[in-house]
Amino acid sequence: MLFPTVQFAIFFPIVLALSWALMPKQRLWKPFIVLASYVFYAAADPRFCLLLAAITLANQIAALGIAATEDERWRKGITAAAVVFDLGTLAVFKYYGFFAQEVDDLLNAFHMGMPAPLVAIALPVGVSFFTFQAISYTVDVKRRLVQPASTIDVAIYLSFFPHLIAGPIVRAREFIPQLASARDPEHVAVGAGLGLVALGLVKKVMIADYLGRTVVDPAFGVPQAYHGPDLIFAAYAYAAQIYCDFSGYTDIAIGLALLMGFIFPQNFRSPYRATGFRDFWRRWHMTLSRFLRDFLYIPLGGNRKGRVRTYLNLMATMVLGGLWHGAAWTFVLWGAFHGTGLSVEHALGGRLRAPGWLRWFVTFNLVVFGWILFRSQDLALFWTYLTQMVEPGALTLATGPAVLALAVVIGLQLLPERTSEGIEVRVERLSPALLGAALAVLILFVGATVPSQGVPPFIYFRF
Amino acid sequence: MPPDPASRDDSLMERFDRQKLRRFTARDAILATALTTLLLLVFAGGSVRRAGEELNPGLGRDVVLAVGKPAGWVADQLPFAQLGHDATGWLSPDADLVGAGFVSAARGGPGAASAAVTPEWFEAAALGEPEPRPPLHTLLVTGDSLSTPLDLELAQRLEPDGVEVIRDPHLATGISRSDVVDWAKLAATQVSERHPDAVVMFIGANEGLPMPGPDGKEVACCGAEWAAIWANRARQMMETYRQGGAAKVYWLTVPTARDPARAPIVDAVNAAVVAAAAPWRRQVRILDDAAVFTPGDEYRDAMEVDGSLTIVREPDGIHLNQAGSALAAEIVEAAIDRDFTH
Repeated sequence: MLFPTVQFAIFFPIVLALSWALMPKQRLWKPFIVLASYVFYAAADPRFCLLLAAITLANQIAALGIAATEDERWRKGITAAAVVFDLGTLAVFKYYGFFAQEVDDLLNAFHMGMPAPLVAIALPVGVSFFTFQAISYTVDVKRRLVQPASTIDVAIYLSFFPHLIAGPIVRAREFIPQLASARDPEHVAVGAGLGLVALGLVKKVMIADYLGRTVVDPAFGVPQAYHGPDLIFAAYAYAAQIYCDFSGYTDIAIGLALLMGFIFPQNFRSPYRATGFRDFWRRWHMTLSRFLRDFLYIPLGGNRKGRVRTYLNLMATMVLGGLWHGAAWTFVLWGAFHGTGLSVEHALGGRLRAPGWLRWFVTFNLVVFGWILFRSQDLALFWTYLTQMVEPGALTLATGPAVLALAVVIGLQLLPERTSEGIEVRVERLSPALLGAALAVLILFVGATVPSQGVPPFIYFRF
Repeated sequence: MPPDPASRDDSLMERFDRQKLRRFTARDAILATALTTLLLLVFAGGSVRRAGEELNPGLGRDVVLAVGKPAGWVADQLPFAQLGHDATGWLSPDADLVGAGFVSAARGGPGAASAAVTPEWFEAAALGEPEPRPPLHTLLVTGDSLSTPLDLELAQRLEPDGVEVIRDPHLATGISRSDVVDWAKLAATQVSERHPDAVVMFIGANEGLPMPGPDGKEVACCGAEWAAIWANRARQMMETYRQGGAAKVYWLTVPTARDPARAPIVDAVNAAVVAAAAPWRRQVRILDDAAVFTPGDEYRDAMEVDGSLTIVREPDGIHLNQAGSALAAEIVEAAIDRDFTH
């Protein structure tokens, strides 16, 4: 079930009311919210619920096993087995087709025949997110950062519908403590919740989809049909589109959780005002960055094993982070590009003095360049895009609304953070009834901008 | 020692407390959400009903219709829906494509009577007649979700040759579901706006819904009666797209889906396409990619492409993936090359 659909508009008010009604009786509330989340997930494909349940049980068994022993070898072994199970599941569902095809092509080149059956395996939506959350739970138990929770709490943690499909990646130690007691019905951030839902809808439907439809899809689809000015404009438009699409989803997810009394970690913080790659990753998909740092970069040795090893660790982390987005060489190279950026930044170590605006300018444009790689359908089209970018020609894609959308998205992020926060807080303190009515009006207006082709899925649903 | 990840507070979990935003109650949350829902039902109840009708049969559809039908009825009785439409209609990016554009065969539509056989019934090549190959300037690629990424593949192949490829996929639509997008109206709009020299149509992923028969009664999928209604609708679209013989139409058949439950729908649609095209074989080409991707109606994920086994279907077992679409584009391009220069 997707957020901007009629099904969800019927589902959510019912679940919200029942959730608060049952909240004081935790024994009833917990099974109810698991059931509601599984119903939400089953709308995509009921068979995927089995996978979610299997991941939940496997990690809970592992967590209980880890907690039951003080023998460090056993704890490590059980953790490793659980992580292999989680990553194995991800590999089968997400990467099998890609790797089987690549290996098959390679062996065919040497006339060695087919090594594995080529089958198209359905990608369960959200699998990348809930397997990472499962890993975070098991590893945090092993690290003694959290105690093993009850099975039903783990089931809620992994399946809670606001974050189930596309995050944010909520850590066990951030969420499970919120299940320890009933959420306080007297302290709910209703204004912030409704405000975030409204903001997310505007970002997704009015900005991201508009830019995608009118600028990005035509240019990235057939770059050979466009010239430099259009392709440069489309690259910036994609930067705005992917930000609005993904952060729009996150805003809605965080807003829905707030209305239900839960708090999720922040996932975006004006990423296009970053003044370096490190700064960018502290602002863009922050929950993934934290996951990669804590569960990959630091265990690999982080920056504690010398310069060369630090660069290798950065590169490995970012390449795997790129691959997490999908089974394609463009994602791998995008990860390597960011790994290189982080390594160069680390090597310079602040020795290169440059004014803030220049650091912002360079970072922003490099990030946009990276997005070209990320968005390109394959490496051949990426190369075509680059070669066409230097071809002189007319600027045909920069319509008034597209330029305005781009200016608003980038411009708002460059405002001092306190200014935009101040505006948000003022809106979020308005009366809930007023905000509820305003949200209805906004949905009517946003809905009117949807073309007959419909609302395309969120970009991160594919990941 | 690795730094303790727990020591970092970079998740900003306290941000709502810091800004003192948890100042309302659960009751406020429920009331505000209920108010939003109520206003939406009053202003757009008809849209909920329509959304329910668009869904595939199942529990989800039943639930949405259980809400949508009474909500739609209430909205129909009140003036607010029109008010909302007047206030927001100017934002709509395209014309109203919902409605009754299809003409029933019983009311004098293109398939109303046994039409006399005309020269248009015969493909020139089949009779060995020479046919001119005009230059292809504009190609429209359209259909439901099946038509993408085929549209992109064709654009990548033809646009470098100076052909304007208009990509106009309409996801989640179908010829048997004119409550979402009425393909008769849409076809007329596409032709009047762009006058394409050729049209590539790939549709059939969302078919199988009941349609009103000549007597007005609903006819369920997928017998001969349903196929005839569908064929008459497709024929009306073909008539529009061929622009009186000035344009060519390339209509792709639907490959067998993995789910055996879809087989009767696919069979009915493919049979209907062939029947619909009969009077205009001079302009309407049926490209039987079902035979290429699923020979003998046997579903397969992978097949040999250029000597190498390749996955050609999406994991949903319905759509063609990028490699499959590239192969379909090759078939379409070969057919176009027989009719046009570019």
